[in-house]
Amino acid sequence: MTRNAEAALLAAASVVASMGVALVNFAYGQGFDAQVALTFLVFAVSFGSIHMALRRWAPEGNPYLFPIAAFLTAIGFTEIYRLDPELASIQRWSLLLAAAVTVAVLVMLRDEGVIMLRRYRYLFLAGAVLLLLLPLLPESWPLHGAEVNGSRLWVRLDLPIGARSLSFQPGEVAKVLLVIFMASYLADRHLAMSTTGRRLGPIRLPEPRQLGPIIIAAGASFAVLVYQRDLGASLLLFVLFVSMVYAATGKASYLVTGLLFIAGGGFVAYQQFDHVQRRVFAWLHPFDDFADAGYQVVQGLFAMGSGSLTGSGLGLGRPDLIPAASTDFIFASVAEEMGFAGSIAVIAAFALMAAAGFGIAIRSRDVFRKFLAFGLTIVLAFQAGLILAGVLRLFPVTGITLPFMSYGGSSLLANMVLVALLVRASHGERT
Amino acid sequence: MNRPIRILATASFALFAILVAAVTYHQVIVGPDYRDDPRNVRVATSQAGRERGTIITADGVVVAESVADPNDPLVFRRTYPEGELYSHTVGYTTLLFGSHGIEASHRDDLVSYRDATISGVLSALFGGDVRPRGLRLTIEHDLQTVAREALGDQRGAIVAIDPATGAILAMVSTPGFDPNTLTGSAAGATGAALEGDSAQPLLNRATAQSYAPGSVFKVITTAAALEAGVASSGTPFPNPVELELPGSTATIKNFDGRACGSGSEVPLSQAFTSSCNTIFAMIGMSVGADQLVGTAESFGFNTEVPFEIASIESRIPDAASFEFDVPGLAQSAIGQRDVRATPLEMALTAAAVANNGEIMVPYLVQEVFNSEGFIEESAEPSVWQRAMGPATAAALTGLMEGVVTSGTGRRASVPGIRIAGKTGTAEVPDSAPHAWFIGFGPVEPDPGDPQIAIAVLVESGGDAGEAATGGTIAAPIAQQVFAEFFGIGQEDQ
Repeated sequence: MTRNAEAALLAAASVVASMGVALVNFAYGQGFDAQVALTFLVFAVSFGSIHMALRRWAPEGNPYLFPIAAFLTAIGFTEIYRLDPELASIQRWSLLLAAAVTVAVLVMLRDEGVIMLRRYRYLFLAGAVLLLLLPLLPESWPLHGAEVNGSRLWVRLDLPIGARSLSFQPGEVAKVLLVIFMASYLADRHLAMSTTGRRLGPIRLPEPRQLGPIIIAAGASFAVLVYQRDLGASLLLFVLFVSMVYAATGKASYLVTGLLFIAGGGFVAYQQFDHVQRRVFAWLHPFDDFADAGYQVVQGLFAMGSGSLTGSGLGLGRPDLIPAASTDFIFASVAEEMGFAGSIAVIAAFALMAAAGFGIAIRSRDVFRKFLAFGLTIVLAFQAGLILAGVLRLFPVTGITLPFMSYGGSSLLANMVLVALLVRASHGERT
Repeated sequence: MNRPIRILATASFALFAILVAAVTYHQVIVGPDYRDDPRNVRVATSQAGRERGTIITADGVVVAESVADPNDPLVFRRTYPEGELYSHTVGYTTLLFGSHGIEASHRDDLVSYRDATISGVLSALFGGDVRPRGLRLTIEHDLQTVAREALGDQRGAIVAIDPATGAILAMVSTPGFDPNTLTGSAAGATGAALEGDSAQPLLNRATAQSYAPGSVFKVITTAAALEAGVASSGTPFPNPVELELPGSTATIKNFDGRACGSGSEVPLSQAFTSSCNTIFAMIGMSVGADQLVGTAESFGFNTEVPFEIASIESRIPDAASFEFDVPGLAQSAIGQRDVRATPLEMALTAAAVANNGEIMVPYLVQEVFNSEGFIEESAEPSVWQRAMGPATAAALTGLMEGVVTSGTGRRASVPGIRIAGKTGTAEVPDSAPHAWFIGFGPVEPDPGDPQIAIAVLVESGGDAGEAATGGTIAAPIAQQVFAEFFGIGQEDQ
């Protein structure tokens, strides 16, 4: 039975995480300590409880997605621990919280499965827009927005205890809600959209009545993100929107129009935003402004180049030299310390997740499930691809997280729920 | 409905394939370049303690080697057995101060490939040599020692070169420093003290500092006149006590303030031997700015010398700037005003005359050998650029020989060897003059005979202060180097 394989693989991922922590300790002349045990415990409890929930409510769901997610989380966690043990202990709490929310989602979907989500699409849309607007809350409120690295996409809750505050990135969760909304809407309208339409020269446009709400939804989210200067998330959202409309209608003209919009939007963003110009310059000529704009990209390249075949070994490289080593550039950190072997393993893991996700979409007989699985997979694959392309100098760096691996609770939580929805969608579709 | 999903799934896999290609490119193909980039501080950290290749002189004296730690045979300490003597030429590799000199320019040869890089692992698997390679320099240890001692406590530089090949035979800059002190436990304090020292011991005066050349520049002015056909050795020139410069109240006088010997006219040869400023200022004005600057450039001015260690350009303003500045042209012709030359460039100037007008590319590394002592690469001498025609070089040789036999450069003469040379005493504001000597020997060597060209610079008059001249301060230093090179002991003189 496949769920047993899943259990074994999840246990293996927990061992990977705790052994990674042990290796980092060894590099610093320490040995097995409470951190090792605690890490094993947190991973085992988190993924174990998700596993039990899946056994109970989605026994036929895809058994490989969570093990791969757990593997990526373990690799990322090890590197975060290596960079900053304090961040790692926060990340452990985030993992527990994410697992709890994931189990809660599975409980909610226990009877009807993901189909029930279809009914509440406007609730999800409203939720998504609300979440996206949260960072705009004024600074003086207890729950307020915060600007990090030139983009305003954080929400901070000041706790009454001391000077502590709790931060999260609502955009990460909003993207999952938007997928649900679009999948639901397109499931209702895709037939009408693919059969009717008006011609405008060579381009065939759909009836505005059909596409209208989705354009408004995407446009509103898009506008908010651009206003917050979160261009990476805007691009992700736009790609998601275009891909889903294309998947629903099968018309290549949407794809072409979408790509033209992306090119145009990119050009306008380049003209309008200084930080976009800086990032484009850093992408094209990172070595020309080594000390300033190109510093992060070049440090990432140095880290990867220094990692070579098998890496410097955990705790033995210098990923601490890279700005944002534990978040946007976690891949470069892993590439340095785990080498080419580690980089390929990470990319392969994301490719496998994408393969499993697209497989679920293709096998789904129900259109809503199909679109949902497809949209979730696109979000996951494209987000990973976008930031990896940034680190690997194929594209300007966009400040988005690498799913499962980057430090950050919001990202971990959103992606765990995303995978849970995928697994739940695949339950009952196996023949 | 699955078709578009399949298409986009395929596109996603294409994206992942591109990512795999990119990561392969960055980690495997160009990874070693990133790893070794000097701006990558991992390099310094990771190379610290690793074995580096041995550097020896042409005659086999070890000048840099890695010594294994007695407690840990895998940890090495870089040592420089000759201390200060090669501080600017061999340079150093340190954790705190980076690397300089040959240690920097030949880093790729000197590093050990016994590490975890893909090429290192593959090379080791297939029995390749992963140990660092060693370098044999062109420098003669005894010549280097004599050159260093000849400068003594004076600030300055000496560059000696084989004119036929471009091989550097000696290269000294003083004051120097002991590179061993930059690697030890007190390295931070020592380095800071060296950086703050007003005598600038870290500065390589031979290549990275330029000075007004003064009269040694007359070699180039003469070459310009000979090439342009404005004068030959016997051409008579008027002999004023003081030369008035057109369009200005400035005048040019000779060094001793008198006319250039007796008589109302003197030939070029006598003007050269006595280094008469008045006459060379006239020559400069009659050859014109285009010819003078053009000739200087063909000698290597206004270009970076292709050399293994960091060098700066020697400068002469472009011809257009002299269009309304005839006094500037006249003063440039005697190596003053804004003309600046490195000792390396002036050594190449002497070498050009010795080598029938052709300047060879200077080089410091004769051979690269592997850990078993087999030679893997050898220097191949090549022509850098032609400074002047052979006839001009021959005429200049005659003029320069006269300087040493009967002119300002008599103190550079060596018994039994025909030496050619030119002295210079460059006036500088707010300081004693810089004393120069450039020259070469033997004149008209038999085929196969070793030849040497040299430039000696003593900054701000050296020990003689205001009284210094090229003939009294720099020429005797050159004489000592010549004597050592030709194997003529001090007692023979």
